[in-house]
Amino acid sequence: METDEQARNRFQAELEFVQCLANPNYLNFLAQRGFLRERPFINYLKYLLYWKEPDYAKFLKYPHCLHMLELLQYEHFRKELVNAQCAKFIDEQQLLHWQHYSRKRTRLQQALAEQQQQQALPHGNAVSK
Amino acid sequence: MAAVAERSTKERLFSVLDDLEVLSRELIEMLALSRSQKLPQPGEDVQILELLVQRDREFQDLMEVARQQGKVHQEMQLLEKEVEKRDSDIQQLQKQLKEAEHVLATAVYQAKEKLKSIDKARKGSISSEEIIKYAHRISASNAVCAPLNWVPGDPRRPYPTDLEMRSGTLGHMANLPTNGVNGHLPGDALAAGRLPDVLTPHYPWQSSDISVGMLPPHHSNDFGLEPPGHNKENEDDVEAMSTDSSSSSSDSD
Repeated sequence: METDEQARNRFQAELEFVQCLANPNYLNFLAQRGFLRERPFINYLKYLLYWKEPDYAKFLKYPHCLHMLELLQYEHFRKELVNAQCAKFIDEQQLLHWQHYSRKRTRLQQALAEQQQQQALPHGNAVSK
Repeated sequence: MAAVAERSTKERLFSVLDDLEVLSRELIEMLALSRSQKLPQPGEDVQILELLVQRDREFQDLMEVARQQGKVHQEMQLLEKEVEKRDSDIQQLQKQLKEAEHVLATAVYQAKEKLKSIDKARKGSISSEEIIKYAHRISASNAVCAPLNWVPGDPRRPYPTDLEMRSGTLGHMANLPTNGVNGHLPGDALAAGRLPDVLTPHYPWQSSDISVGMLPPHHSNDFGLEPPGHNKENEDDVEAMSTDSSSSSSDSD
């Protein structure tokens, strides 16, 4: 039986490890060294699914890792990760998705600015007359 | 049975009429004959008359019977109509009952579904404050939304970078120098990370301050066997993954 101290360390380690799974390059690293083919590792990935529960999920800083963890449960995904192009594609898509909100926000701000400009113009003309 | 063998009133009426016809014909013939010659049988005309009267009486009786049968028949028809009406009423009620049952069954089913979803929602309920706090945490660190001034070339990412990984608990576990512990990163890792000695960066994604009371789920067994029987954790494998140096976790205590 492990002590509380050991359990806390294990918690820390598992917290970090599960978040590392958000990094597609790391996943590619693991795949190329054959870890994703080993049965104990696959079982460990299934065990890690406990991070999806709200009590544990609130400690995650990089929530993308949960999606990756779910995908890693599928053998097809694990096999594909051996290709560097696959990892690169995932990385690109992840970055684009990451930028989605900021792009949306800038667009909204632009739209708002344009609207204000348009409102300002007629008033300006009326005053000048 | 006797009732079936009996002749119907109509037949009896017709037969009586036939008799009457025959008798009256004979009588008329006799009367016609008696004009020209004497009656061969003296009592025959009386006989025929008597038979005639008798037949007539029978006829009257049968007519009375027929009249009464007609009344009974009418009553029967009325009753039949009543029965038909009642039948259709019952069918109507049956239809309405079926419809009502259907509507109620649907209502009950939908109510049950609603209760199920209420239960489900209640189970997953989290205080809004916690959710807002969490949202703040993951947004402030740019973990889910890129910083507004991000350009390609910026090292920030939505996942822990190599640097962050190496400087975490896992990195420390794997990189322990064989020549003693001093809490600093070993030389090669330092060179790779280009960090000065004094800096031991502690990134918030490790969150050791927040998670003081938190323990991971129990699994005292080996992951080599098939789940769900999670067996003794194969810690050696776990540590070997972050880098390719091999040291067991027991060293970290």
